[in-house]
Amino acid sequence: MTGSGHEKKFDPFRSLTVFSTSVIFIFILLPLVEMVLQPSIDSLQETIRDKDVLRAIWLSVYASGLAALISFVFGTPFAFVLARRAFFGKRFVESVVDLPVMIPHPVVGIAILSLAGREHWLGQVMQGVGVRVMGSVTGIVAVLLFVGLPFYINAAKAGFEAVPERLEKVSRSLGASMTGTFLRITFPLAWRSMLAGMIMCTARAISEFGAIVIVAYHPMTAPVMIYERFTAYGMKYSQPVAVWLIFVSLVLFLFLRLVSLPQKSRS
Amino acid sequence: MKELATWKKVILGIVFVAGGMMLSLPANAASQGKVIVFHAGSLTVPFVEMEKIFESKHPGTDILREAGGSTKMARMISELNKPADIMASADYAVIDKGLIPAKATWNIRFATNQLVLCYTDRSRFASDINAQNWYDILSREGVVWGHSDPNLDPCGYRSLMVLQLAEKYYNKPGLYDLLIANRPKENVRPKSVELVSLLKTGNMDYAWEYLSVAVQHELKYVVLPDEINLGNYRHDDFYKEAKVKVTGKKPGTWMTRTGSSCTYGITLIKEAPNPEGALAFLEYVLSPDGGLKILKDMGQPPFIPCRVPTDGMKKMLPPSLQKLVEVKN
Repeated sequence: MTGSGHEKKFDPFRSLTVFSTSVIFIFILLPLVEMVLQPSIDSLQETIRDKDVLRAIWLSVYASGLAALISFVFGTPFAFVLARRAFFGKRFVESVVDLPVMIPHPVVGIAILSLAGREHWLGQVMQGVGVRVMGSVTGIVAVLLFVGLPFYINAAKAGFEAVPERLEKVSRSLGASMTGTFLRITFPLAWRSMLAGMIMCTARAISEFGAIVIVAYHPMTAPVMIYERFTAYGMKYSQPVAVWLIFVSLVLFLFLRLVSLPQKSRS
Repeated sequence: MKELATWKKVILGIVFVAGGMMLSLPANAASQGKVIVFHAGSLTVPFVEMEKIFESKHPGTDILREAGGSTKMARMISELNKPADIMASADYAVIDKGLIPAKATWNIRFATNQLVLCYTDRSRFASDINAQNWYDILSREGVVWGHSDPNLDPCGYRSLMVLQLAEKYYNKPGLYDLLIANRPKENVRPKSVELVSLLKTGNMDYAWEYLSVAVQHELKYVVLPDEINLGNYRHDDFYKEAKVKVTGKKPGTWMTRTGSSCTYGITLIKEAPNPEGALAFLEYVLSPDGGLKILKDMGQPPFIPCRVPTDGMKKMLPPSLQKLVEVKN
């Protein structure tokens, strides 16, 4: 239908693709551009000199990165098993992995807080050994891990599935151990997907608000601070923080995307 | 050609959907019979009840409630121009300062409340605490207690006022600082109602709440003397001695909140999308055998009749509301 030999003939599908592309582009960019352009340069400068703002943005980046790292450590073997093995109840396990995506965010926060409280044996154990979830970085990372994990696991799983199992079998038959095969065959072929998964996981975590604000209001992550600034001072003082968060995230993700590109560009 | 027409229809449909999403005019929300009520979090339980009864009496009307910190809700109206018909605030001063004159013209005081110290069976020292020793227990190490954010929620600065008044009332210089030193910042939450779940899950031992919240959530609570609980306007002169610094108009600036009794205010928003429906609901809320009775049962003693501060303001009220209020400052 969209072959290149028929330019002269009117093709509704082509105009539809052009049209929908521009609609989606405008739909995403219009509100963001509007927000980025609102704050004055002065207020942006003033905001980035504010220690509280820097601390909040750093906490967001740091806690989200940590969540992605933990996802990587625990999620990689799990994703590999999902990609390679067929077992009874696999569909169920996969649905469980996706659960955090659809659960309303406040529910996540409430659930984690209930576990951490003294009404629950787990909370008693944690409080006994001095682990505090409410109002702590531990709690924030726990929430971010919860909401970010599915993104990493699904991306890594897709990456593993794209690696021909044949290659792994050859490696094994030549005497390499499972670990050796993974490190020398699977990982080199799948690492881009894993990195992309970590980017998605971090991105999801940086944007989280609903669950965090229930578990920890202080210390403040950037989204919580944007909310606090909005409620306490109004839009004028919440927007610059948002702009800086968007800017920092953009630079970070752009860098990671560049790293994950193959030598000759994929585009 | 027929095929082309179908495509046109599809494209047209997408244009409409996308256009509608982008514009999403506030007017959409104002369709007949919907009354949008913004109210303080502490009014949620009685307003749910009022909504139920009112809607059963007026089947054509749909009350849409949105609860939050009063200051925030006022800002949603004044800054984001969120469409709303009615705003009910936990501190009538929020309406006076944040909505009048731009978004509202009058402000009716309709109910009261007081601060209590809430806890559960499982709170540390739950069996010992009473109106005489509460401040000793709050200053003990290991006792986790909190209040809502004074910058966002009137209940937050009022909690701090109670502590200041206690220092004076019990004649214990330094008590306020001593107590605050035992309350890490992490124990401060945006809204006081959120603290309830922290109590119930055992993440917190004690929390400052309005009496109504304690009653509605079936918490245990310590009732404090009238001189410090901010519930009795006869003690307004003493309450005035409590002063709490809260954030001002921009980060780094501050303003002072002065103690006064907890008095709820309610108003009709000027650009109300549905003024008729809103007025009908207001009449119900402010009538002694309607909303006021519910408030009484829920631990928020109402003013019967409701009050406005001046004759001038009474004259500004819609006629149907004038007969429900008296002028009393």
